[in-house]
Amino acid sequence: MKRFTHINATSAEHAVSCLQEYKDSSYVIAGGSDLLGCLKDNLWMQTPEAIVNLKTIEGLSYIKEEGSTLHIGALTTLTEVAESSIVKKLAPALAEAARRTASPLLRNMGTLGGNICQENRCWYYRYPSKLGGRIDCVRKGGTKCFAVIGEHRYHSIFGAVNKCIAVNPSDTAPALIALNATIKTTKRTIAIDEFFSAAHGAGSTILDRDEIVLEILVPVAAKSAVSAFKKIAFRKSIDFALVTCAIALEKDADKITAVRICLNGVYNNPMRSQEAEEFLLGKVLTEDIAKEAGEIALQNAKSLFQNIYKVQLAKTLVADTLLSL
Amino acid sequence: MAKTTENILPSGEKEHVTLHVNGEDISLLIEAHWTLSKVLRNGCSLTGTKEACDAGACGACTVLIDGIARPACMLLAREQVGKKIETIEGLEKNGQLHPIQEAWLEEYGAQCGFCSPGFIMTTKALLAKNPNPNDDEIKEALGGNLCLCDNYEHIILAVKSAAKKIAKGGK
Repeated sequence: MKRFTHINATSAEHAVSCLQEYKDSSYVIAGGSDLLGCLKDNLWMQTPEAIVNLKTIEGLSYIKEEGSTLHIGALTTLTEVAESSIVKKLAPALAEAARRTASPLLRNMGTLGGNICQENRCWYYRYPSKLGGRIDCVRKGGTKCFAVIGEHRYHSIFGAVNKCIAVNPSDTAPALIALNATIKTTKRTIAIDEFFSAAHGAGSTILDRDEIVLEILVPVAAKSAVSAFKKIAFRKSIDFALVTCAIALEKDADKITAVRICLNGVYNNPMRSQEAEEFLLGKVLTEDIAKEAGEIALQNAKSLFQNIYKVQLAKTLVADTLLSL
Repeated sequence: MAKTTENILPSGEKEHVTLHVNGEDISLLIEAHWTLSKVLRNGCSLTGTKEACDAGACGACTVLIDGIARPACMLLAREQVGKKIETIEGLEKNGQLHPIQEAWLEEYGAQCGFCSPGFIMTTKALLAKNPNPNDDEIKEALGGNLCLCDNYEHIILAVKSAAKKIAKGGK
Protein backbone atom coordinates (compact mmCIF):
# COMPACT_ATOMS: atom_id res chain seq x y z
CA MET A 1 0.00 0.00 0.00
CA LYS A 2 1.21 3.51 -0.76
CA ARG A 3 1.42 6.12 1.99
CA PHE A 4 -1.56 8.29 2.83
CA THR A 5 -2.63 10.77 5.48
CA HIS A 6 -5.02 9.26 8.00
CA ILE A 7 -7.65 11.34 9.75
CA ASN A 8 -9.91 10.14 12.56
CA ALA A 9 -13.11 12.09 11.96
CA THR A 10 -14.79 13.47 15.08
CA SER A 11 -18.17 14.10 13.48
CA ALA A 12 -19.90 13.73 10.13
CA GLU A 13 -19.34 17.46 9.49
CA HIS A 14 -15.64 17.05 10.24
CA ALA A 15 -15.44 14.12 7.80
CA VAL A 16 -17.16 16.17 5.08
CA SER A 17 -14.82 19.13 5.68
CA CYS A 18 -11.82 16.78 5.31
CA LEU A 19 -13.22 15.42 2.04
CA GLN A 20 -13.70 18.98 0.79
CA GLU A 21 -10.18 19.94 1.80
CA TYR A 22 -8.54 17.05 -0.05
CA LYS A 23 -11.10 17.08 -2.87
CA ASP A 24 -10.76 14.18 -5.33
CA SER A 25 -7.78 12.78 -3.47
CA SER A 26 -9.58 11.49 -0.42
CA TYR A 27 -11.73 8.55 0.52
CA VAL A 28 -13.66 7.61 3.61
CA ILE A 29 -13.00 4.33 5.39
CA ALA A 30 -15.66 2.51 7.37
CA GLY A 31 -15.15 -1.27 7.48
CA GLY A 32 -12.29 -0.94 5.01
CA SER A 33 -12.63 -4.36 3.38
CA ASP A 34 -13.29 -2.76 -0.01
CA LEU A 35 -11.16 0.37 0.35
CA LEU A 36 -7.98 -1.37 1.55
CA GLY A 37 -8.33 -3.87 -1.32
CA CYS A 38 -8.49 -0.96 -3.77
CA LEU A 39 -5.49 0.74 -2.16
CA LYS A 40 -3.41 -2.46 -2.07
CA ASP A 41 -4.10 -3.07 -5.76
CA ASN A 42 -3.32 0.59 -6.52
CA LEU A 43 -6.59 0.74 -8.37
CA TRP A 44 -7.18 4.40 -9.02
CA MET A 45 -5.35 6.65 -11.46
CA GLN A 46 -4.44 8.95 -8.62
CA THR A 47 -3.34 7.49 -5.27
CA PRO A 48 -5.51 9.10 -2.59
CA GLU A 49 -3.74 11.57 -0.33
CA ALA A 50 -6.06 11.22 2.63
CA ILE A 51 -8.21 8.52 4.19
CA VAL A 52 -10.91 9.71 6.57
CA ASN A 53 -11.88 7.22 9.28
CA LEU A 54 -15.61 7.24 10.01
CA LYS A 55 -15.43 4.67 12.81
CA THR A 56 -14.42 7.35 15.30
CA ILE A 57 -17.74 9.16 14.76
CA GLU A 58 -20.15 8.23 17.51
CA GLY A 59 -23.68 7.11 16.89
CA LEU A 60 -23.54 5.77 13.35
CA SER A 61 -24.06 2.13 14.27
CA TYR A 62 -27.57 1.18 15.36
CA ILE A 63 -30.70 -0.69 14.34
CA LYS A 64 -34.00 0.64 15.63
CA GLU A 65 -37.65 0.71 14.74
CA GLU A 66 -39.28 4.11 14.94
CA GLY A 67 -42.87 4.55 13.88
CA SER A 68 -43.28 2.66 10.65
CA THR A 69 -39.62 2.84 9.62
CA LEU A 70 -36.61 0.69 10.32
CA HIS A 71 -33.53 2.90 10.89
CA ILE A 72 -30.12 1.36 10.28
CA GLY A 73 -26.95 3.38 10.87
CA ALA A 74 -24.51 3.34 7.96
CA LEU A 75 -21.72 1.91 10.11
CA THR A 76 -23.75 -1.06 11.34
CA THR A 77 -21.80 -4.16 10.36
CA LEU A 78 -23.31 -6.76 8.06
CA THR A 79 -23.13 -9.33 10.88
CA GLU A 80 -25.21 -7.04 13.09
CA VAL A 81 -27.75 -6.56 10.27
CA ALA A 82 -27.89 -10.29 9.55
CA GLU A 83 -28.32 -11.30 13.19
CA SER A 84 -30.67 -8.53 14.29
CA SER A 85 -34.03 -9.90 15.36
CA ILE A 86 -35.71 -6.64 14.30
CA VAL A 87 -34.31 -6.84 10.75
CA LYS A 88 -35.12 -10.55 10.53
CA LYS A 89 -38.72 -9.82 11.50
CA LEU A 90 -39.36 -6.61 9.56
CA ALA A 91 -37.07 -6.98 6.54
CA PRO A 92 -36.16 -10.65 6.10
CA ALA A 93 -34.80 -10.05 2.59
CA LEU A 94 -32.24 -7.59 3.98
CA ALA A 95 -31.20 -9.89 6.83
CA GLU A 96 -30.70 -12.76 4.40
CA ALA A 97 -28.79 -10.57 1.92
CA ALA A 98 -26.46 -9.41 4.68
CA ARG A 99 -26.00 -13.01 5.83
CA ARG A 100 -25.00 -14.13 2.34
CA THR A 101 -22.50 -11.31 1.74
CA ALA A 102 -18.80 -12.26 1.64
CA SER A 103 -17.41 -14.37 4.51
CA PRO A 104 -18.18 -14.20 8.26
CA LEU A 105 -14.85 -12.44 8.92
CA LEU A 106 -15.55 -9.77 6.32
CA ARG A 107 -19.12 -9.37 7.52
CA ASN A 108 -17.70 -8.64 10.98
CA MET A 109 -16.00 -5.54 9.55
CA GLY A 110 -17.97 -4.63 6.43
CA THR A 111 -20.74 -2.10 6.98
CA LEU A 112 -24.14 -1.71 5.36
CA GLY A 113 -23.29 1.79 4.16
CA GLY A 114 -20.04 0.51 2.66
CA ASN A 115 -21.72 -2.45 1.04
CA ILE A 116 -23.97 -0.26 -1.10
CA CYS A 117 -21.12 2.15 -1.98
CA GLN A 118 -18.46 -0.41 -2.90
CA GLU A 119 -16.38 -0.36 -6.05
CA ASN A 120 -17.22 -2.92 -8.68
CA ARG A 121 -15.35 -6.19 -8.93
CA CYS A 122 -14.64 -6.50 -12.65
CA TRP A 123 -11.36 -8.38 -12.90
CA TYR A 124 -9.99 -6.01 -15.54
CA TYR A 125 -10.88 -2.96 -13.46
CA ARG A 126 -9.49 -4.51 -10.26
CA TYR A 127 -6.43 -5.99 -11.94
CA PRO A 128 -3.55 -5.44 -9.46
CA SER A 129 -0.90 -3.05 -10.73
CA LYS A 130 1.87 -5.20 -9.22
CA LEU A 131 1.24 -7.98 -11.72
CA GLY A 132 2.54 -6.49 -14.95
CA GLY A 133 0.93 -3.09 -14.62
CA ARG A 134 -2.54 -1.75 -14.36
CA ILE A 135 -5.13 -2.33 -17.07
CA ASP A 136 -6.54 1.06 -18.03
CA CYS A 137 -10.07 0.13 -18.97
CA VAL A 138 -12.84 2.51 -19.96
CA ARG A 139 -13.91 2.85 -16.34
CA LYS A 140 -10.48 4.18 -15.43
CA GLY A 141 -10.44 6.67 -18.28
CA GLY A 142 -9.17 4.34 -21.01
CA THR A 143 -10.83 3.86 -24.37
CA LYS A 144 -12.26 0.36 -24.27
CA CYS A 145 -13.75 -2.31 -22.08
CA PHE A 146 -11.45 -5.32 -22.06
CA ALA A 147 -14.18 -7.60 -20.77
CA VAL A 148 -16.26 -7.31 -23.97
CA ILE A 149 -13.50 -8.84 -26.08
CA GLY A 150 -11.99 -10.84 -23.21
CA GLU A 151 -13.28 -12.88 -20.29
CA HIS A 152 -16.79 -11.78 -19.42
CA ARG A 153 -18.40 -14.84 -17.89
CA TYR A 154 -19.43 -12.89 -14.77
CA HIS A 155 -20.34 -9.65 -16.53
CA SER A 156 -23.51 -7.82 -17.51
CA ILE A 157 -26.29 -9.56 -19.44
CA PHE A 158 -28.18 -6.33 -20.05
CA GLY A 159 -25.58 -4.42 -22.04
CA ALA A 160 -23.16 -1.67 -21.07
CA VAL A 161 -23.15 1.70 -19.34
CA ASN A 162 -20.57 4.03 -20.91
CA LYS A 163 -19.06 0.98 -22.68
CA CYS A 164 -18.41 -0.77 -19.31
CA ILE A 165 -20.05 -4.16 -18.70
CA ALA A 166 -19.02 -4.67 -15.04
CA VAL A 167 -21.84 -5.62 -12.67
CA ASN A 168 -22.80 -4.09 -9.35
CA PRO A 169 -21.34 -6.41 -6.66
CA SER A 170 -23.56 -5.48 -3.70
CA ASP A 171 -25.80 -8.17 -2.21
CA THR A 172 -27.70 -5.84 0.08
CA ALA A 173 -28.51 -3.41 -2.77
CA PRO A 174 -31.22 -5.58 -4.42
CA ALA A 175 -32.77 -6.29 -1.01
CA LEU A 176 -32.90 -2.57 -0.19
CA ILE A 177 -34.42 -1.83 -3.61
CA ALA A 178 -37.07 -4.54 -3.21
CA LEU A 179 -37.89 -3.13 0.24
CA ASN A 180 -38.05 0.41 -1.20
CA ALA A 181 -35.51 1.86 1.21
CA THR A 182 -34.35 5.46 1.44
CA ILE A 183 -30.75 6.58 1.91
CA LYS A 184 -29.98 9.52 4.16
CA THR A 185 -26.67 11.25 3.46
CA THR A 186 -24.93 14.33 4.83
CA LYS A 187 -26.59 16.37 2.06
CA ARG A 188 -29.96 14.91 1.23
CA THR A 189 -32.35 11.99 1.31
CA ILE A 190 -32.28 9.76 -1.75
CA ALA A 191 -34.85 7.18 -2.85
CA ILE A 192 -33.04 3.88 -3.41
CA ASP A 193 -34.30 3.65 -7.00
CA GLU A 194 -32.23 6.74 -7.82
CA PHE A 195 -29.24 5.91 -5.63
CA PHE A 196 -27.29 3.61 -7.95
CA SER A 197 -25.80 5.10 -11.08
CA ALA A 198 -22.86 3.41 -12.76
CA ALA A 199 -22.65 6.32 -15.20
CA HIS A 200 -21.58 8.51 -12.29
CA GLY A 201 -18.29 6.65 -11.77
CA ALA A 202 -16.60 5.46 -8.59
CA GLY A 203 -18.77 3.48 -6.22
CA SER A 204 -21.52 3.36 -8.86
CA THR A 205 -23.75 5.68 -6.86
CA ILE A 206 -24.96 9.25 -7.43
CA LEU A 207 -23.14 10.43 -4.30
CA ASP A 208 -20.93 13.50 -4.61
CA ARG A 209 -17.29 13.23 -3.57
CA ASP A 210 -17.98 15.07 -0.33
CA GLU A 211 -21.13 13.20 0.56
CA ILE A 212 -21.36 10.40 3.13
CA VAL A 213 -24.17 7.90 3.71
CA LEU A 214 -25.42 8.28 7.27
CA GLU A 215 -28.49 6.11 7.55
CA ILE A 216 -30.54 3.56 5.66
CA LEU A 217 -34.29 3.79 6.17
CA VAL A 218 -36.47 0.80 5.39
CA PRO A 219 -40.24 1.30 5.48
CA VAL A 220 -41.99 -1.31 7.58
CA ALA A 221 -44.57 -2.77 5.26
CA ALA A 222 -48.08 -3.98 6.08
CA LYS A 223 -48.46 -7.23 8.02
CA SER A 224 -49.39 -9.16 4.88
CA ALA A 225 -46.09 -8.16 3.25
CA VAL A 226 -43.31 -10.68 2.83
CA SER A 227 -39.84 -10.47 1.35
CA ALA A 228 -37.11 -12.87 0.32
CA PHE A 229 -33.59 -12.82 -1.05
CA LYS A 230 -31.73 -15.52 -2.97
CA LYS A 231 -28.19 -15.61 -4.24
CA ILE A 232 -26.35 -17.89 -6.62
CA ALA A 233 -22.57 -17.99 -6.27
CA PHE A 234 -20.01 -20.71 -6.82
CA ARG A 235 -19.17 -21.05 -3.15
CA LYS A 236 -21.65 -20.39 -0.36
CA SER A 237 -19.43 -17.88 1.36
CA ILE A 238 -16.80 -15.46 0.09
CA ASP A 239 -17.77 -15.42 -3.58
CA PHE A 240 -19.46 -12.49 -5.19
CA ALA A 241 -22.81 -13.34 -6.67
CA LEU A 242 -23.42 -14.60 -10.18
CA VAL A 243 -27.02 -13.51 -9.80
CA THR A 244 -29.03 -12.33 -6.81
CA CYS A 245 -32.74 -11.69 -6.60
CA ALA A 246 -34.76 -9.91 -3.93
CA ILE A 247 -38.53 -9.67 -3.93
CA ALA A 248 -40.96 -7.89 -1.61
CA LEU A 249 -44.59 -8.73 -2.03
CA GLU A 250 -48.00 -7.93 -0.56
CA LYS A 251 -51.01 -10.18 -0.97
CA ASP A 252 -54.72 -9.71 -0.43
CA ALA A 253 -56.72 -12.95 -0.40
CA ASP A 254 -53.93 -14.71 -2.33
CA LYS A 255 -53.88 -12.03 -5.04
CA ILE A 256 -50.71 -10.00 -5.34
CA THR A 257 -51.46 -6.34 -4.64
CA ALA A 258 -47.95 -4.92 -4.61
CA VAL A 259 -44.60 -6.31 -5.65
CA ARG A 260 -41.03 -5.11 -6.17
CA ILE A 261 -38.50 -7.36 -7.88
CA CYS A 262 -34.81 -6.55 -8.08
CA LEU A 263 -31.99 -8.52 -9.68
CA ASN A 264 -28.30 -7.86 -9.15
CA GLY A 265 -25.17 -9.24 -10.72
CA VAL A 266 -26.80 -8.86 -14.12
CA TYR A 267 -26.12 -5.21 -14.99
CA ASN A 268 -24.00 -2.20 -13.98
CA ASN A 269 -26.74 -1.11 -11.61
CA PRO A 270 -29.06 -3.33 -9.57
CA MET A 271 -31.94 -3.95 -11.91
CA ARG A 272 -35.61 -3.65 -11.06
CA SER A 273 -37.89 -5.59 -13.32
CA GLN A 274 -40.96 -3.44 -13.70
CA GLU A 275 -42.41 -5.58 -16.53
CA ALA A 276 -42.43 -8.65 -14.30
CA GLU A 277 -43.90 -6.60 -11.44
CA GLU A 278 -46.76 -5.37 -13.65
CA PHE A 279 -47.37 -8.89 -14.90
CA LEU A 280 -47.69 -10.23 -11.35
CA LEU A 281 -50.15 -7.62 -10.05
CA GLY A 282 -53.59 -9.10 -9.39
CA LYS A 283 -52.40 -12.65 -10.06
CA VAL A 284 -52.43 -15.64 -7.74
CA LEU A 285 -48.93 -17.02 -7.34
CA THR A 286 -48.49 -20.47 -8.89
CA GLU A 287 -45.50 -22.26 -10.32
CA ASP A 288 -46.44 -21.37 -13.90
CA ILE A 289 -46.99 -17.70 -13.06
CA ALA A 290 -43.63 -17.58 -11.24
CA LYS A 291 -41.85 -19.13 -14.23
CA GLU A 292 -43.50 -16.70 -16.60
CA ALA A 293 -42.47 -13.78 -14.37
CA GLY A 294 -38.90 -15.05 -14.67
CA GLU A 295 -39.16 -15.14 -18.46
CA ILE A 296 -40.58 -11.61 -18.54
CA ALA A 297 -37.88 -10.26 -16.22
CA LEU A 298 -35.21 -11.50 -18.60
CA GLN A 299 -36.94 -10.85 -21.94
CA ASN A 300 -34.68 -7.91 -22.77
CA ALA A 301 -31.43 -9.67 -21.82
CA LYS A 302 -28.53 -9.15 -24.22
CA SER A 303 -25.97 -11.68 -23.09
CA LEU A 304 -22.52 -12.06 -24.55
CA PHE A 305 -21.28 -15.46 -25.60
CA GLN A 306 -19.60 -16.48 -22.32
CA ASN A 307 -22.33 -15.33 -19.96
CA ILE A 308 -25.47 -16.63 -21.65
CA TYR A 309 -25.83 -19.11 -18.76
CA LYS A 310 -26.59 -16.22 -16.44
CA VAL A 311 -29.84 -15.55 -18.30
CA GLN A 312 -31.12 -19.01 -17.40
CA LEU A 313 -29.83 -18.66 -13.82
CA ALA A 314 -31.62 -15.34 -13.40
CA LYS A 315 -34.92 -16.63 -14.84
CA THR A 316 -34.88 -19.58 -12.48
CA LEU A 317 -33.85 -17.45 -9.54
CA VAL A 318 -36.77 -15.05 -10.02
CA ALA A 319 -39.18 -18.00 -10.10
CA ASP A 320 -37.52 -19.67 -7.09
CA THR A 321 -37.58 -16.50 -5.02
CA LEU A 322 -41.24 -15.90 -5.86
CA LEU A 323 -42.17 -19.44 -4.91
CA SER A 324 -40.31 -19.19 -1.60
CA LEU A 325 -42.67 -16.39 -0.52
CA MET B 1 -14.86 22.32 12.04
CA ALA B 2 -11.32 22.84 13.27
CA LYS B 3 -8.83 20.09 12.67
CA THR B 4 -7.16 18.71 15.74
CA THR B 5 -3.63 17.45 15.51
CA GLU B 6 -4.40 14.27 17.47
CA ASN B 7 -6.84 13.16 14.83
CA ILE B 8 -4.52 13.44 11.89
CA LEU B 9 -1.45 11.42 10.99
CA PRO B 10 0.20 12.95 7.91
CA SER B 11 1.52 10.75 5.15
CA GLY B 12 5.09 9.59 5.75
CA GLU B 13 5.13 10.56 9.42
CA LYS B 14 5.21 8.15 12.33
CA GLU B 15 3.10 8.24 15.45
CA HIS B 16 3.50 6.71 18.92
CA VAL B 17 0.55 4.47 19.71
CA THR B 18 -0.22 1.89 22.36
CA LEU B 19 -1.89 -1.30 21.22
CA HIS B 20 -3.51 -3.58 23.75
CA VAL B 21 -2.42 -7.03 22.59
CA ASN B 22 -3.09 -10.22 24.56
CA GLY B 23 -3.56 -8.31 27.81
CA GLU B 24 -0.38 -6.27 27.45
CA ASP B 25 0.08 -2.68 26.37
CA ILE B 26 2.65 -2.47 23.59
CA SER B 27 4.09 0.91 22.58
CA LEU B 28 4.87 1.24 18.90
CA LEU B 29 5.83 3.74 16.23
CA ILE B 30 3.49 3.30 13.31
CA GLU B 31 2.67 4.87 9.96
CA ALA B 32 -0.85 5.55 8.76
CA HIS B 33 -0.89 2.91 6.02
CA TRP B 34 0.43 -0.01 8.12
CA THR B 35 -1.99 -2.87 8.54
CA LEU B 36 -2.51 -4.60 11.87
CA SER B 37 -1.08 -7.88 10.58
CA LYS B 38 2.16 -6.16 9.51
CA VAL B 39 2.46 -4.37 12.84
CA LEU B 40 1.75 -7.54 14.84
CA ARG B 41 4.33 -9.52 12.88
CA ASN B 42 7.05 -6.89 12.42
CA GLY B 43 6.48 -4.55 15.36
CA CYS B 44 5.30 -6.90 18.10
CA SER B 45 7.16 -10.03 16.89
CA LEU B 46 3.89 -11.94 17.09
CA THR B 47 4.36 -14.02 13.97
CA GLY B 48 1.62 -16.51 14.81
CA THR B 49 -0.73 -14.30 12.82
CA LYS B 50 -0.07 -15.35 9.23
CA GLU B 51 -0.35 -13.30 6.07
CA ALA B 52 -1.36 -15.13 2.91
CA CYS B 53 -3.84 -13.53 0.52
CA ASP B 54 -3.54 -9.95 1.87
CA ALA B 55 -7.13 -9.38 0.78
CA GLY B 56 -9.22 -10.67 3.69
CA ALA B 57 -10.27 -13.73 1.72
CA CYS B 58 -8.28 -16.54 3.35
CA GLY B 59 -8.60 -15.89 7.10
CA ALA B 60 -4.98 -16.84 7.92
CA CYS B 61 -4.50 -13.49 9.68
CA THR B 62 -7.65 -13.72 11.81
CA VAL B 63 -7.38 -11.99 15.18
CA LEU B 64 -10.02 -11.08 17.73
CA ILE B 65 -10.79 -7.38 18.07
CA ASP B 66 -12.92 -6.87 21.18
CA GLY B 67 -13.91 -10.53 20.84
CA ILE B 68 -14.95 -10.32 17.18
CA ALA B 69 -12.98 -12.32 14.59
CA ARG B 70 -11.59 -10.07 11.85
CA PRO B 71 -8.83 -10.40 9.23
CA ALA B 72 -5.87 -8.35 10.51
CA CYS B 73 -4.54 -7.71 7.00
CA MET B 74 -7.60 -5.58 6.22
CA LEU B 75 -7.41 -3.47 9.37
CA LEU B 76 -5.31 -0.35 9.75
CA ALA B 77 -3.19 -0.55 12.91
CA ARG B 78 -3.93 3.08 13.77
CA GLU B 79 -7.65 2.32 13.93
CA GLN B 80 -7.17 -0.42 16.55
CA VAL B 81 -5.90 1.86 19.32
CA GLY B 82 -7.97 1.38 22.46
CA LYS B 83 -9.30 -2.00 21.39
CA LYS B 84 -8.59 -5.40 22.89
CA ILE B 85 -6.56 -7.36 20.36
CA GLU B 86 -6.16 -11.09 20.84
CA THR B 87 -3.82 -13.23 18.76
CA ILE B 88 -2.95 -16.93 18.79
CA GLU B 89 -0.02 -16.20 21.15
CA GLY B 90 -2.47 -15.05 23.83
CA LEU B 91 -4.24 -18.39 24.13
CA GLU B 92 -1.56 -20.35 25.99
CA LYS B 93 -1.51 -19.54 29.69
CA ASN B 94 1.42 -20.54 31.95
CA GLY B 95 2.62 -23.25 29.59
CA GLN B 96 -0.88 -24.68 29.40
CA LEU B 97 -2.45 -24.84 25.95
CA HIS B 98 -5.94 -23.48 25.42
CA PRO B 99 -8.58 -26.25 25.09
CA ILE B 100 -9.06 -25.31 21.42
CA GLN B 101 -5.33 -25.77 20.80
CA GLU B 102 -5.40 -29.12 22.64
CA ALA B 103 -8.37 -30.22 20.56
CA TRP B 104 -6.49 -29.19 17.41
CA LEU B 105 -3.57 -31.43 18.39
CA GLU B 106 -5.72 -34.38 19.39
CA GLU B 107 -7.98 -34.30 16.34
CA TYR B 108 -5.19 -33.53 13.82
CA GLY B 109 -6.71 -30.14 13.08
CA ALA B 110 -3.42 -29.06 11.49
CA GLN B 111 -1.63 -30.61 8.55
CA CYS B 112 0.89 -28.00 7.41
CA GLY B 113 -0.50 -25.76 10.16
CA PHE B 114 -0.36 -22.46 8.30
CA CYS B 115 -4.09 -21.83 8.53
CA SER B 116 -4.44 -23.08 12.12
CA PRO B 117 -3.90 -19.76 13.99
CA GLY B 118 -6.67 -18.19 11.93
CA PHE B 119 -9.00 -21.16 12.32
CA ILE B 120 -8.38 -21.34 16.07
CA MET B 121 -9.09 -17.63 16.58
CA THR B 122 -12.30 -17.88 14.54
CA THR B 123 -13.26 -20.97 16.56
CA LYS B 124 -12.68 -19.08 19.79
CA ALA B 125 -15.09 -16.34 18.69
CA LEU B 126 -17.60 -18.95 17.54
CA LEU B 127 -17.55 -20.91 20.80
CA ALA B 128 -17.87 -17.74 22.87
CA LYS B 129 -21.07 -16.98 21.00
CA ASN B 130 -22.38 -20.49 20.51
CA PRO B 131 -20.89 -23.00 22.98
CA ASN B 132 -22.39 -26.04 21.27
CA PRO B 133 -22.46 -25.53 17.50
CA ASN B 134 -23.66 -28.20 15.06
CA ASP B 135 -21.87 -29.09 11.81
CA ASP B 136 -23.72 -26.50 9.73
CA GLU B 137 -23.10 -23.73 12.22
CA ILE B 138 -19.40 -24.61 12.34
CA LYS B 139 -19.17 -24.63 8.55
CA GLU B 140 -20.91 -21.28 8.31
CA ALA B 141 -18.78 -19.66 11.03
CA LEU B 142 -15.51 -20.95 9.55
CA GLY B 143 -16.56 -19.99 6.00
CA GLY B 144 -14.01 -17.17 5.89
CA ASN B 145 -11.02 -19.42 6.67
CA LEU B 146 -9.36 -21.49 3.99
CA CYS B 147 -7.23 -24.62 4.44
CA LEU B 148 -5.21 -25.53 1.38
CA CYS B 149 -4.43 -28.98 2.81
CA ASP B 150 -8.20 -29.59 2.62
CA ASN B 151 -8.21 -30.71 6.26
CA TYR B 152 -11.75 -29.52 6.88
CA GLU B 153 -13.13 -32.83 8.23
CA HIS B 154 -10.55 -32.84 11.01
CA ILE B 155 -11.01 -29.14 11.68
CA ILE B 156 -14.75 -29.66 12.23
CA LEU B 157 -13.98 -32.57 14.59
CA ALA B 158 -11.48 -30.39 16.43
CA VAL B 159 -14.03 -27.60 16.88
CA LYS B 160 -16.56 -30.07 18.32
CA SER B 161 -13.96 -31.58 20.62
CA ALA B 162 -12.95 -28.09 21.76
CA ALA B 163 -16.59 -27.26 22.51
CA LYS B 164 -16.80 -30.37 24.72
CA LYS B 165 -13.54 -29.54 26.50
CA ILE B 166 -14.68 -26.00 27.24
CA ALA B 167 -18.08 -27.24 28.46
CA LYS B 168 -16.25 -29.59 30.84
CA GLY B 169 -14.56 -26.63 32.46
CA GLY B 170 -11.52 -25.74 30.41
CA LYS B 171 -11.13 -22.10 29.58
